[in-house]
Amino acid sequence: MVLSATTDGGERKIRRNGSFGYVVPALLLIAFFFIIPVLMLLMRSVLEPTPGLQNYRELLGSTTYLRVFLNTFTVAGLVTVVAVVIGFPVAWLLAIMPDKWSRLVMAIIVLSMWTNLLARTYAWMVLLQRTGVVNKMLINLGIIDKPLALVNNLVGVTIGMTYIMLPFVILPLIGILKSIDPAILRAAALCGANKRQCFTRVLLPLSLPGIASGALMVFVMSLGYYVTPALLGGTSNMMLAELVAQFVQSLVNWGMGGAAALVLLLVTMVLYAIQLKFLNPNRAR
Amino acid sequence: MKKQTIIAVLAATVAFAGQASAADMVFTSWGGTTQDAQKQHWADTFSTEGGVNVTQDGPTDYGKLKAMVESKNVAWDVVDVEGDYAVQAGNAGLLEKLDFSVIDKTKLDPRFVTDYSVGSFYYSFVIGCNKDAVDACPKSWADLFDLAKFPGKRTFYKWSAPGVIEAALLADGVAADKLYPLDLDRAFKKLDTIKSEIVWWDSGAQSQQLLASAEAPFGSFWNGRLTALAQTGVTVETSWTNNITAADALVVPKGTKNKEAAMKFIANATSDKAQAEFATMTGYAPINTGSPKLMDEDLRKTLPDQKAETQVNADMSYWAAHRDEIGTRWYAWQAK
Amino acid sequence: MLLDFDKLGGLKPFLIGLTALVCLFLILPIVFIAALSFGSSQWLIFPPPSWTFKWYQMLFADPRWLWSALTSLKIAAIVTVLSVILGFLAALGLNRGSFVGREALRALFLTPMILPVVVLAVALYALFLQLGLAGTTVGFIIAHLLIALPFSIISIGNALEGFDKSIEDAAILCGASPWEARIRVTVPAVSHGIFAAAIFSFLASWDEVVLAIFMASPTLQTLPVKIWATLRQDLTPVIAAASTILIAFTILLMVLAALFRKGRKA
Repeated sequence: MVLSATTDGGERKIRRNGSFGYVVPALLLIAFFFIIPVLMLLMRSVLEPTPGLQNYRELLGSTTYLRVFLNTFTVAGLVTVVAVVIGFPVAWLLAIMPDKWSRLVMAIIVLSMWTNLLARTYAWMVLLQRTGVVNKMLINLGIIDKPLALVNNLVGVTIGMTYIMLPFVILPLIGILKSIDPAILRAAALCGANKRQCFTRVLLPLSLPGIASGALMVFVMSLGYYVTPALLGGTSNMMLAELVAQFVQSLVNWGMGGAAALVLLLVTMVLYAIQLKFLNPNRAR
Repeated sequence: MKKQTIIAVLAATVAFAGQASAADMVFTSWGGTTQDAQKQHWADTFSTEGGVNVTQDGPTDYGKLKAMVESKNVAWDVVDVEGDYAVQAGNAGLLEKLDFSVIDKTKLDPRFVTDYSVGSFYYSFVIGCNKDAVDACPKSWADLFDLAKFPGKRTFYKWSAPGVIEAALLADGVAADKLYPLDLDRAFKKLDTIKSEIVWWDSGAQSQQLLASAEAPFGSFWNGRLTALAQTGVTVETSWTNNITAADALVVPKGTKNKEAAMKFIANATSDKAQAEFATMTGYAPINTGSPKLMDEDLRKTLPDQKAETQVNADMSYWAAHRDEIGTRWYAWQAK
Repeated sequence: MLLDFDKLGGLKPFLIGLTALVCLFLILPIVFIAALSFGSSQWLIFPPPSWTFKWYQMLFADPRWLWSALTSLKIAAIVTVLSVILGFLAALGLNRGSFVGREALRALFLTPMILPVVVLAVALYALFLQLGLAGTTVGFIIAHLLIALPFSIISIGNALEGFDKSIEDAAILCGASPWEARIRVTVPAVSHGIFAAAIFSFLASWDEVVLAIFMASPTLQTLPVKIWATLRQDLTPVIAAASTILIAFTILLMVLAALFRKGRKA
């Protein structure tokens, strides 16, 4: 603040507007190789098989497809919540524990990510089957007597997706938590705040940007996810990306596939705008 | 040991094959050991005889094929696709007509020949059962759809394709010769009765895993997969009652730059010798009627052409005409 | 107090216990994959009837595994570098700028993440066929860069938000050029964001299979495509063997890095 008063105001303004230039390379890439081709494909949703809105009518008029939309947002929301609730304490400990140990935990996290996604998903599928290792172990330990249905349903998808998404919550949070000055918490404690108040009034609000960016990544990624839900979920928890893949690849019906993708994109953008307005006031300056 | 040597040789050729030159052609299939066998018995024998190099690509993707044909930049010359897709794509103008002056169709099984495609290999949907895991095995489609007599999980093919709908109708008492046109309402109603107990398999290998681990101790399988499973020591019982045939097909995408070579390739791939050798290595059945006599006697017994008494032929042209309609309904029903 | 490891009190066992459980959760499938790679059952039955090295023999007998892994590594490495550079610049612009439509732009940069990737694959492939980029390494890199970039922009943007810009201004006041200040002051300060961006970008490419199927050509196959086709056709534990070797290799690198750090300290 003091510094900005001493720098020349006019020059600073120019530099601020000039910062649009930094966005240009990424913007050009997205414009040429994303917006143009995708728009061309999405055009097919109103042109194929015949010009008109019948693809959208069919999509939004069917309770089955609406359920697929609902499933998509339910699963993405569920995975986001679970990943944040589990990931936050882990990141917290990682940010403050002695280096020796935090390096070990980090190594485990990176290792888990580095193993091929398909291999991990298949491993979970086999682990969670009725005849799989997890059920066998629980039965041998006497915790259950009949195998639990852990795969081909919502449980399977949530386990598999949380597994993949956890690092996306943990890694950004560590940085944020590390950058919080412990003195602030000491000050809060001196002013009489108990542990709970310190957590809810100080630590949590200060780490909110990290939580928000992790949650955003996980939620958005989950919305478009295909492989893991297809292998670990039952068909009755089908998510939109799988439906789109069926239209595009199995039925080669690009009109419907494009329509479904566009609706997902629009709904997500609306949610994002709402999120900006209400949940993240400091960003919507 | 023999298999390993084969794989090593195959692999070495692929690694050193290098860039495809203009005179070369591209064959695309689904990958894995199936494509390895196709390369060895169809492509490598062809390269040496015809003077054209065949490059392998894959996996097959119908979206990719459509994009190629639309943009008139066709990189694939011969593609292995599912039988019903082949007929539909042919009708939709995505494929070249085959040149039957080059491909000798007199010896090819007529069930798998159309203007745009010939069979690549064929198989039957049969009822498979892991004998070690259950007291009794289902013998008919009706048994497989009977939750009271055979409780527990059962597995079926996930994708919209000939096989499951026919099985449901047969289980519901429709006579084998009265299946077409398919009564979809009746089929889905029958499928509803066992839906909660179905585990879907989305690839051949997954079906084998489900049966071997007894995750689903019975279900509907491709016959060749069960033969292979039995060879690895799993006690498999196969019921051939009303086995339903389906086939993969070889097609040539419209606008290929190597049409002539593609036709010659197909002619070679469907020859009696190439088909017999491929079938021996993979457990799929040959579509050349001259092939079985070139094959090992024991192996011949496991082929679907030996189980013709109650066999049901999936009607590919019916499927091609209704593929979109059935598929859309199929996936919507699954998601319900 | 809450950020002092030694003064956590009753919270300490809770946090340590939970983290240990999470570590167990993360490591379980990996240990399982490693175990399967030595098991004799082709159908992933566990515990397997007997133990064997045959999957490793098959892996080494097929050079396509190594070849596709190297292709994946090359593409992912280039994608990572480009994604971090473009992402840093874009995040800087979005963070510092006050131009109109900044929030809309931020949302736009996220869209490649939301769109089901098969739609992007078909669309991009059709364009690449026209441009002659289909089946080329450049095309492959562009495709993966599109889905990697959002991760970089989010991660670095998040780190920049926690960075006090007046420190950069201070460096400029002390005579540094703006870019010198950015590279020597800002970049180190947001290094954790850059680290996360690099890891996520790398993975976005390294693990990606749907775009990769479309971008592949006979001479350009990545590891996930090879794994995908093999899983569907054969489900052989060769995949487990390949994964295990990668894990072993990574652990080796990590140990070496730890030893190197120790050596430098001593």
